[in-house]
Parts: sequence; structure tokens; C-alpha cells
Amino acid sequence: MDWWIEPFLLGFQQRALIGGLVAAVMCAVVGVWLVLRGMSFFGDAFVHGVLPGIAAAVIFGFNPYLGAAVAALFMVGGIELIHRQTALKEDTAIGLLFVGMMALGVTIISRSNAYTGSLTSILFGDIFGVTDELITTMVVMGAVVIAAAVVLFRPLLALSFSATKAQSLGMRPRFAHAALLVLIATAVIASFQAVGTLLVFGLLVGPPAAASLLSRTVPRMFVWSVALGALSVWLGLTLSYHLQTAGAATIALVAVALFFALLALTRGVSAVRRRRVVAA
Amino acid sequence: MTELLAEAVDLRLGYGNQVAVAASRFTIPHRAVTAIIGPNGSGKSTVLNAVGGVLEPLAGRLTVLGGSPRVRPPKVSYVMQSLAFPAGTPITVREAVGMGLYPKLGWFGRPSADDRARVERAMERLGVTDLADRHLDELSGGQRQRVYVAQGMTQDHEALLLDEPLTGLDITSARVIDQIIHTERERGHAVVLTTHDLDEARAADWVVLMAGRCVAAGPPAEVLTREHLADAYGLGSLHAHAAEPEVLDDPHKPGVPGHDHSRHQHPH
Repeated sequence: MDWWIEPFLLGFQQRALIGGLVAAVMCAVVGVWLVLRGMSFFGDAFVHGVLPGIAAAVIFGFNPYLGAAVAALFMVGGIELIHRQTALKEDTAIGLLFVGMMALGVTIISRSNAYTGSLTSILFGDIFGVTDELITTMVVMGAVVIAAAVVLFRPLLALSFSATKAQSLGMRPRFAHAALLVLIATAVIASFQAVGTLLVFGLLVGPPAAASLLSRTVPRMFVWSVALGALSVWLGLTLSYHLQTAGAATIALVAVALFFALLALTRGVSAVRRRRVVAA
Repeated sequence: MTELLAEAVDLRLGYGNQVAVAASRFTIPHRAVTAIIGPNGSGKSTVLNAVGGVLEPLAGRLTVLGGSPRVRPPKVSYVMQSLAFPAGTPITVREAVGMGLYPKLGWFGRPSADDRARVERAMERLGVTDLADRHLDELSGGQRQRVYVAQGMTQDHEALLLDEPLTGLDITSARVIDQIIHTERERGHAVVLTTHDLDEARAADWVVLMAGRCVAAGPPAEVLTREHLADAYGLGSLHAHAAEPEVLDDPHKPGVPGHDHSRHQHPH
């Protein structure tokens, strides 16, 4: 029993758990729509795209949330510009902004005296450095994200068919899409200090993808996604304590490993059922 | 004067800078079956999108049921093609059909018992009740098309728009949907469908012939003539029909909407 409790005895460990859980819930909810709408590449690019804003905030000493928000706006605007002005497909636009923003972020940080430390902290987070103030901010942003995800359920479900269908049902697809981008940005910005911009993507995609293997409806996918996200954080922190590995990276690793474990499990169960049907 | 579902005056349609339908003038009668026909890329679906209120005209005027098609709540139910479905989204047939209630319920409204009964009735009419708990991606194209029509029927509507509803369907699904088209008309609703099939167009009350613009609109006998078809399709594709333009029982039959609709055939 001690093996499970010991990793969370100290205050900073408990704050890491709470911060991680809040990030997991936020990302699990937003990530469901990211996965269902086939926007995983956009999500990946997005979490890297906020890097220059955060880097500038670190170097010039302003609020990193503001920096991340400005970078997110710039990124979405850039993708939209390329999409409208050229015949290139959206993934090319995303790729251009992805690498451009990432490179800009690293370039900005390279002017810092503590180059390696700053970069590592932004990319991989500092889950054991989570403060009470950060938890409060994360909880507020998390509440907004979850409320918005509930409000947007019908428009986003209709949008998963097509923008035309959503429009014909009066679900305002453009607004819903823009709102989803804001939700993704909010989840990333709220979570990056705890789990880092790179590894937040593990929580955005891992639990929802694993949840899709277990769910017959979208509401159930939300429930599974949140449960698997929370499990990833708790198990990740526990393993990181005992194996002496990096906290956020272990969480992301567990999230992805859970997907493959569930894939093997569900496929195995299906194969057994098929065999029973054939035998009967 | 015939009651109109839609009236287009100098209507231009397109996507971005791309014009799909050059300035066109046509009407679509209410309480009748209208077929929009034309070759690939002729603007059939574009016209349907505009009438359905999902595409804003580039220029000109389009009125639907006396107002702008973009004004909500829509009394026009738009049924998309079965090919379009959200692969990977865990959504059951019952949920998909229930989406037809969204225009009424908006983002937050809760469905009443009547609303739920409406969903069940639509599923029964389209013969998909047995599939209610199946996923959309577990269905055949024909079954999915029936689900989409059931979704359209669930929506409170006066007009049903169907984008190539019978293309590539199994016989059972095609029969069920064809029956729905008849019933809708009998109920005094308008049905507008796009098709590639001249026989389907001949069986309609009204035809809009497209070729990047509206070539002609009117009763089948007046629209599906050799001259118009040559204009829309080019001569090469017309040999079979040009040799025997079997259009045309009686162009002056008092038929819109009273035209004999019994010839509406199922696809082959």
C-alpha cells in the first residue's frame, strides 16, 4: 500500500497531482473534439506554436499566458492566411507555421542566459514546481473549458459531419470551429507550466484516442477520456517517483501506453468473441 | 399563380472567387417534386446548397418560402449524401436521427416526449428502427442514406432537399426513399432532389436543368427536350435520348403540383 501512497505524501507532490489532474481533465475534454475532428496534427503544431510567445515572456518578463495567447492567435491567423491566399492544403499551412513558430521560439530562448534550462522548462514543464496560485488559475481556466465544451456539444457534433450539415441545422459552424480553437489554446496555455508545451499533447490526444476504443457514444467518450487522463497522471507520477524518471514525460508515456494496452485488449476481446460465434 | 418554394433572379453562386453557377433565373414550385439535373460540375449541388441556406449567393436574389434562405429557423430540411459521414465518431443511428431536432432545440434545449416520439416515427418510416443502436460507420451506404433522410424528416420542415438520394443505393433503400418522396409530396411538402438520372427527372413535377447556369426550368416535357439536353450535355452524350426523346406525355397536363407522379421509378 505504501508503494501507492508514498509518492504523494509531501506538499509539492500533492500539488503536482492536483495540477496534473486539472490539466488532464481539461485536455481530455478538449482532446475528444480534437481527435473526432481529425485535428491532431493541428493540435501538435499548436502546442509548439505557442513556444515563441512563452519564450518572449520569459526573456522580457511579461505574463506567459499573454505571450502564449498572442502566439496562438498569430499561428491561427497564419494558417488561415495561407489557406485563403493559396491552393495549398491545410496540413501544409499547419506544417509551415509549426516549424516556423518552433524555430522562432528556440531562437528567442537562445538569447537567454539560461538557454537550456528555460527551453527544457517550457517544453517539458515543471510538474513538481506547481504552486497553489497556479492550481487556482488552472482550476478557473479548466472550469471555463469544461463549461464551454458542454455548451458547444451540439454544434461540434454537427460539425463532425460537415460544415454544410452543421450550417443546415443552424449550428453556426464557423463560430463553433473558432470556439474550439480558443478552447484548445486555453487548455494548452493553462497546462503548459505543469506538463510543458511538448507533453501537453500527450494528454490532448492519448486519453481521447484510447477512450474512442471503449465508447459507443460521444458522451461516454468524454467520461472515458477524463478517467484515462486522470489515470495517466496518477500512474505517471507514481511510476516517476519509484523509477526516478521525469514526471511530465512519464505521464505522457503512460497516456500513450494506455492507448496501446487498450487497443490490444479490445482487439483480443473481439477476436475471442468472433471465435465463439464461429464455434457456435 | 403557383405557390413557389424558391425564386432565383440573376442568381450567381460560387465558392470564394470560383463561380459555379453563372447568372440564372428560375423558380421551384412548392408542394411538388423538383429534380435538378445536369452533368458533373454543372452546379446542381450548389443550387441545392443555396436553397438550403448553407451557401450565400455571390450576386442576385434568391428567396425561399418568401424570405432569405439564410434566415433561421429553417423550414427547409437538407439531407446530405450518404458518402459523407463522420468516420470514427461514435454516434448511433438514434443520435444521428435526433440531430434533426437541433434547429428546434438550438444549442441547449432538451427534447420533449413529443420530440423523442418524432425521432422514433422517422426511424420507423425509414425502416431503421432495428439499427437504432448501431454506429453510422457500421451501416451500408443505403442504410446510412435512410438514416440521413430520417434525420431530415425529424426536422420540422416544409421542404426536403436531397442531394443525389438514390445514387448507388440498394433496392430496398431506394424503394423506401422513393416512397418518402411520394409521401412528402402528398403531405403538401416540396421535395427538391439532384440527380444524374434522366428517368428520375422525367418522373418529377418540375425540372431545373443545369450546366454552369440554369439552362431551363419547368415541367419535364418542356425542359428535357433535345435542344436543352444538347445545350447542357453536348450532343455526344445524347444519342440514346435524342433518337427517341421519350419525354413527354403531355406538356399541358395540369400538373404542377398535380402532375401524375406515378411514373417515379426506382433506380435500376
